[in-house]
Amino acid sequence: MRHFTLPVSPATVHWGYFSKKVAPALTVRSGDRATIETLTHHANDDYERMIANDPGAESVFQWTREHKAVARRGAGSTEGPFIKGSGEGLGVHLLTGPVAIENAERGDVLEVRILDVRPRPSCHACHAGRCFGSNAAANWGFHYHDLIEEPKPREVITIFELDTSGEPFAKAVYNYVWTPQTDPDGIAHPTIDYPGVRVDHSTIRKRDNILPSVKVPARLHFGTMGLAPSEADFVSSIPPSYSGGNIDDWRIGKGARMYYPVAVPGAFFSVGDPHAAQGDSELGGTAIETSLTGDFEFILHKHRDLSGTPLEGLGHPMLETEQAWSVYGFTYPNYLAELGASAQTEIANHSSLDRAMRDAFRKLRRFLMTVHKLSEDEAISLMSVGADFGVTQVVDANWGVHGTIRKNVFGCD
Amino acid sequence: MSFRPFTSESYAQDDRAEAWRDVLRAVGLRPASGSAFHYGHATAIHRNLAGVALSRISAGSQGVSPLSQPSEDLPIALLPTEDGVVLRSETGHRIIPVGHLLLLPRNGDWSVVFQRDMRAIVLSVTSDAMHGRILRKPRFGEPQVVAPVGFADVFSRSLEATARTLEILTDVEWASVAQNLVELLSTLAQRRSVPTPDTNNNNTATQAAILHRICQTIERTLDDPELSPARVAQAEGISERYLQKLFEGVGDNFTHYVRERRLQRAWADLSNPTEVHRSISEIAYRYGFGDSAHFSRTFRHRFGLPPREFRQQEAGRMAAPSVVGQRGWPQDALAQLRTHQPPAVVKSSAVIASGETGDARTAAEQGHHHIAVDAAKVHWGYFSRALAPQTEIRSGDTITIETLTQHASDDPERMIAADPGAESVFGWTKHHKNIDRRGAGPMDASVFGRGAGEGFGVHICTGPVAVREARPGDVLEVRILDIVPRPSRNREFEGRVFGSSVAAWWGYHYNEFLAGPKPREAVTIYEILSSDETPHARALYSYRWEPQTDPFGVVHNTYDYPGVPVAPGTVKRRHAVLDGIRIPLRPHFGVIAVAPREADFVDSVPPSYFGGNLDNWRLGKGSTIYLPVSVPGALLSVGDPHAAQGDGELSGTAIECSMTGTFQIILHKKGDLAGRAFADLSYPLIETETDWVLTGFSHPNYLAEFGSQGQSEVYAKSSLDLAMRDAFRKMRRFLMNVKGLSEDEAIALMSAAVDFGVTQVVDGNWGVHAILSKKLFPDVS
Repeated sequence: MRHFTLPVSPATVHWGYFSKKVAPALTVRSGDRATIETLTHHANDDYERMIANDPGAESVFQWTREHKAVARRGAGSTEGPFIKGSGEGLGVHLLTGPVAIENAERGDVLEVRILDVRPRPSCHACHAGRCFGSNAAANWGFHYHDLIEEPKPREVITIFELDTSGEPFAKAVYNYVWTPQTDPDGIAHPTIDYPGVRVDHSTIRKRDNILPSVKVPARLHFGTMGLAPSEADFVSSIPPSYSGGNIDDWRIGKGARMYYPVAVPGAFFSVGDPHAAQGDSELGGTAIETSLTGDFEFILHKHRDLSGTPLEGLGHPMLETEQAWSVYGFTYPNYLAELGASAQTEIANHSSLDRAMRDAFRKLRRFLMTVHKLSEDEAISLMSVGADFGVTQVVDANWGVHGTIRKNVFGCD
Repeated sequence: MSFRPFTSESYAQDDRAEAWRDVLRAVGLRPASGSAFHYGHATAIHRNLAGVALSRISAGSQGVSPLSQPSEDLPIALLPTEDGVVLRSETGHRIIPVGHLLLLPRNGDWSVVFQRDMRAIVLSVTSDAMHGRILRKPRFGEPQVVAPVGFADVFSRSLEATARTLEILTDVEWASVAQNLVELLSTLAQRRSVPTPDTNNNNTATQAAILHRICQTIERTLDDPELSPARVAQAEGISERYLQKLFEGVGDNFTHYVRERRLQRAWADLSNPTEVHRSISEIAYRYGFGDSAHFSRTFRHRFGLPPREFRQQEAGRMAAPSVVGQRGWPQDALAQLRTHQPPAVVKSSAVIASGETGDARTAAEQGHHHIAVDAAKVHWGYFSRALAPQTEIRSGDTITIETLTQHASDDPERMIAADPGAESVFGWTKHHKNIDRRGAGPMDASVFGRGAGEGFGVHICTGPVAVREARPGDVLEVRILDIVPRPSRNREFEGRVFGSSVAAWWGYHYNEFLAGPKPREAVTIYEILSSDETPHARALYSYRWEPQTDPFGVVHNTYDYPGVPVAPGTVKRRHAVLDGIRIPLRPHFGVIAVAPREADFVDSVPPSYFGGNLDNWRLGKGSTIYLPVSVPGALLSVGDPHAAQGDGELSGTAIECSMTGTFQIILHKKGDLAGRAFADLSYPLIETETDWVLTGFSHPNYLAEFGSQGQSEVYAKSSLDLAMRDAFRKMRRFLMNVKGLSEDEAIALMSAAVDFGVTQVVDGNWGVHAILSKKLFPDVS
């Protein structure tokens, strides 16, 4: 077992997409461990608290008229003229990696264990050592066309501080309504439509004393973790799919083991979209987006060894925690294959919990029948009386419902 | 069920190839030899109806060939939708551009190869769909390629539009669309077929054209009782002899053809739900049958069933289990039956004066009451504002309520025998049924004939309990102090506790079984071990539902009426089911309701603003539910006890197990609600020790939303997407009104800390709940 460290820098991140074409930032063998830093792509909502004086963050977010450290942000066009910017913001998450796994081949399953998760403290003199995050009630949120107060519609940023002195929790610091921002290349962003645009705090009005006396219990986790899909060279990081990605389940935190089907040689694992807390559904469009560092262990399960294990027949991401197994259902389990050439934009027109529920049901049934050798009748009875279905997210285009079965159901007698 | 979705996600990797074969087979295709099954993702939407099968297919690169079927059928129509294909046949390879239609013979040596992903619409029409219409057998030795011009364009566009909307068409709509596709395809096939004469068929193209015209004339004049060969011949300007010869040329004769068409058209009208308002003799007359007795005889001779029976059978098939979510009132029956509704039976109000209430007075400040379950203490399958209360209590009183599961009859030996309360409720002999009405349907069972009440609502509800001084606008707080299971009284099983779970026709899984027989219902009997260190349930045995004859002689082919005793000899018990699996217990009541204000009889299945069949396992010991009072006295009922259930209640039921609950009831008067968590309450609100749980529904008040159609519409319009939106709106309101947050604060908090989950997808009005942890507000005691 070897232990690697992967700090953030323009050379170790890719922004807004998964890709089998990006050169690996690190190559490991099955059994190796790595400490991987990740940055939230919402850090520029409060530059002072989340970027200033942090060499890693500053290097990634650096963007002046002369120099944009990470130019491509998203799977969209990289040829100007741009509507929003290079990559066109078709995908938004800052992802660290990819980490290539030696000998990983299509058909294998990669297990990723999250050994530890730590917040990334502020480096600014006024806030040194304290940790902050941002929540955006954004235009892609479930609420956006269903607002009751004026002005309609609007986007709102809420900055939270994470308190880890005891049982960790987050408290709101202030909020503001998004105002049109112009990036260093002169493109205006009337809404949150391109990641990493620094919010000029002279244009906004901060409102203090919000959510007074509300403590949000921390649920440190990575919203986006997954492998490069095989279907396209550049795949938007927003819709989750069969190789993982933006699943946005808060249970993918410390102690969790994620299993992903390998789609390309080397697997190409990337991680980002760190969250301090999120509810099931991620209703407003984002969690409390907070830069985090994780310790990971990688275990490669070869295709020939899967038979008779819980990974047999696995064609989608799956979570194991100490208490339970969860499978992830999506509106389209593999939207890239199902929706064809225009999948990456088309998927947003098809979001549906009803379809995601159907998919979660099928995946859990398959799991119970293949892995636990139940008959179909047994699997259906067990799902009705012992499995819980919840809403994972309704904001990532390919909506999610997870199906969870507790491990203590399977007694040892 | 005519609608069938397929996805490879349902199958283990190794089973996908075989499953995929089935998908292709349904439209007369098979994988081309030498074409390896693509192990990637594959989906298909499929719908069929008497010989018409339409699939929208999306899968990886592959080739397909014909299954080799009898060739009376029309050619298969295949429309590539994203990319061109290569057509390989005896005459070589051709590249077919996207949008061109392929007419493919049922036999022969051809294959269609999708070089990239397979995305296509495939229509298969077999002779079953032709209803005896004569067609000159289209001869297709070779596949034909049709450019999307003129008529072919109309056909292609119809195919595309139908394929796109396949999953949302109702059965009636689909039947009509499918019929049109048959018309279009047969016309196109006629025009494109090879006019080479073969040995048995010396029709020339001209003859065929004349015959086609004659058939259309006949079709237009079927109502004319005087329709004769002479008239038709005259109208077409040919001799009668020649006309007969034309029919002989296709192996038929005029008289037979006309009778067949008349019968087929009558058959179609009799099975069409939009024609139910017409009497059978009207339909007979419409197709030239002047004498309905004659029609009836001829119809039976042709279809083996008299028209009246046939129509009933079709009505049942349309409305009942075959359609997702079609519990409760069938949509068309409602309007007709409203007039027949008898007023609710109002029981003697003497019950209130005597009985429990009197006894309770002896207790000091807070009375305790007890309702032991028996036939007089329950109402079965419905809620009603018109029921006389079993007892009246005061705010602050406690009450112990015994409840029975309506599934006790799945194993009467274990769950009913020797239990006087259960025996009284379930009592049903050839001559007497202790509780006749089961459900909100008509007492004469004139919709489906299942039994009184028609099983439109299934839960045995104990009550109602009136709360003194409760008025509309008040809030009733129901605290669940304790829940204990009801042990078996049968000496053989004495002291042990049992429950039943049915994977029923209203379950979420019912339309997509992997393995046969499809579909099926399965009952699993569980033993409840609540005194174990870790209380749990274990499966004892299971059986497939077999048609059960109830004591009145009605046969129940599916689980369509509650309380039908299952005779042990009629089913095959399978032991060793769910071996080694323990289900952790979550004892709770599926149904806690106050009476709705809108109607006298309300189906107990769909939950709504008044509570009812919430099926949320968080309604267990120690939790509280707040319900908005809608009628004087509130009229509280409790039932549907569950030993365990998962979020979703996927198969249609939980572990249904008779239990007894002890409740404390507190009335909050309208004027005192300000500042309370349940101020402005318009839905059932659950409070547990740790959380607030808000209940969202597809249709928050379906009775009001759909009016008189509510009790049928709600089943047709279930959706988690709607339920999620309702839960979001309720939680926003709760955070703003009760917790005093701004809208922006509320939305930030919901995103960061509120958990939304699936409550149930089986009760007509589907549910999504939103959970707000009390930990978020540490300063609030």
